[in-house]
Amino acid sequence: MARAVELARPEPRRPVRSAPPAVLLLLPAGLFLVVFFLVPYVNMVRMSFLTKAQGAAFANVVTLENYLRIFGDTFYWRVIGRTFWLAGLTTVLTLVLGYPLAYAVARASGPRRPLLLMLLLAPLLVGAVVRSYGWMILLGRVGLINQVLRALGRGEAELMYNILGVLIGLVHVYLPFMVLAVAGALEQIPPDVELAARSLGASPWRTFWRVTWPLSLPGVFSGAMLVFVLALSAYVIPILLGGNNVLVMPMLIVQMLLDAFNWPFGSAMAMVLFGLACVVLWAYVKAMNRALRWIPR
Amino acid sequence: MASIQLEGVTKRFGPVVAIHRLTLHVQEGELLTLLGPSGCGKTTTLRLVAGFLIPEEGRIHFGTLDVTHLPPEHRNVGIVFQNYALFPHMTVAQNVAFGLEVRGLPNAEVRSRVGEILERVQLRGLEHRYPHQLSGGQQQRVALARALVINPQVLLLDEPLANLDAKLREEMRFYIRHLQREFGITTLYVTHDQAEAMVLADRIALLRDGILQQVAPPEEIYRRPQSRWVADFVGLCNFLPGRVLGREDGFLLVDTPIGVVRCSGTADAGRVLVCVRPESLRPDAGGTNRIVGVVRERTFLGNLLDLQVACPGGVVLRVQLTPTQDARPGEPLHLEFRPQDAWVVPEDG
Repeated sequence: MARAVELARPEPRRPVRSAPPAVLLLLPAGLFLVVFFLVPYVNMVRMSFLTKAQGAAFANVVTLENYLRIFGDTFYWRVIGRTFWLAGLTTVLTLVLGYPLAYAVARASGPRRPLLLMLLLAPLLVGAVVRSYGWMILLGRVGLINQVLRALGRGEAELMYNILGVLIGLVHVYLPFMVLAVAGALEQIPPDVELAARSLGASPWRTFWRVTWPLSLPGVFSGAMLVFVLALSAYVIPILLGGNNVLVMPMLIVQMLLDAFNWPFGSAMAMVLFGLACVVLWAYVKAMNRALRWIPR
Repeated sequence: MASIQLEGVTKRFGPVVAIHRLTLHVQEGELLTLLGPSGCGKTTTLRLVAGFLIPEEGRIHFGTLDVTHLPPEHRNVGIVFQNYALFPHMTVAQNVAFGLEVRGLPNAEVRSRVGEILERVQLRGLEHRYPHQLSGGQQQRVALARALVINPQVLLLDEPLANLDAKLREEMRFYIRHLQREFGITTLYVTHDQAEAMVLADRIALLRDGILQQVAPPEEIYRRPQSRWVADFVGLCNFLPGRVLGREDGFLLVDTPIGVVRCSGTADAGRVLVCVRPESLRPDAGGTNRIVGVVRERTFLGNLLDLQVACPGGVVLRVQLTPTQDARPGEPLHLEFRPQDAWVVPEDG
């Protein structure tokens, strides 16, 4: 009986067309990355083991000299240390400044929300170079802030061509990335969960630390990772707001490639930066996964 | 434990009045369900009691304590939300322990009380699971355990069964009732499901557009509705428009399109509606209110036979018989109903 019913059911005329296989979907972007990212990178790895040459990019003589020079000279270690320290500090500052802002964005309703988002994203419409020049007008020796200080008879402050200037620039540029990531996570938290905590006796402050903050960690972690990586590879801001007083790896690499025309050594420096970044990120992701065990996978 | 008293409570959202001068008392140990269609203000009422909202007018008391402006964390209220609102980053044990930890109880006591309550809701062995690793029914029990473990003054339940499948929902009704009796806790239970309200409630409060319609035990709500709206909202009902002629032998005589019928009620004169439930109509056995009609529609519902019967005066009655009493479309049907099963409500409203 059941089978008869089964047979009587009309066959679908045409099977529903399924989406194209994943490989096909990955192809365009994959091809682009292979040609413009992977191939140059492999080439750089190769170059970093070759020797400097006169009148050519490199000579085909294999050597470890470039790496030995980096690891053997404390000057490079100090630059590497400064680069990571600056990126880390930028990350922490964007988090401290960005979290309250992200909270406001996530909890804003009605017309305030798009307004806040626009204010947040507006700086991104202006390139890093223009923004850095903007900061120079404000922070420079004859800049606005120092003019005011002088007029008040308070002397003069060193706001630029030092770590402070670079930090101000970096935090400003990367703040929106942190805010967007954190706001996204905060929006995912159902409001009832916080209310439940309140009803169970937790004060608003305690509710934040025991419920809201841990539940926003996915956003904090991804925002921090994004800002850290971006700050680590920043070039324009350190060079414009730090001058030659705040030497970081990307500046050194560009100098090596363009000014000294030492491509093998520049490549080796890039590889060291890349390798160390990978190690840091690997440790970071491991720690992150431990902290986010509760997320369904 | 304490009673809940709302006195003339009004809550507005901008120009919208969500709750209008609501006065409602939930007795100590009682389970009162707030029943009404969506948007009637029942969840708003619950949130006012929980302290998530502050009323513009009126007072809310727990026993003798005025809690109108007390923040939620100081009200000692247990809440179960429709979506359970479990803490996704905490295990079952951590979820349940939360309320005890913020009260600063010593670890040993927290552990023993969590173990005890998990035992009572039959969740032993699942302590270290995260909420997403539990079934809907288990999450529901965690939510109950988390709300009850703090020994709350009152328990608030906001459509706690709405997200469960039909079978489990049926079981959980009895389970929640059992648990509430066992703890003897004053409970406000919000639902739009009248069957749920019937099974669970000591008393039902019916809410419509933020205005209280009737508060009474389930049987009274069903048998003695105060208005057409109440009779219509709870169960099925036939309404016969009519005019009160007078009283005879303790019953009202009402002139309706199907003739003069005897019924119960408090009205003395004027235009009224006679409410007759479909299951109150039964095959004519020579009783009081007798009608002849013709079967128009017949629907088999398994435990019931649902009929639409065309009667004199253009009245179509909905009739529900047990399936042993069959009737076919087109056939005449002799029916009757008892005076005590016909209830008079005012014509308006």
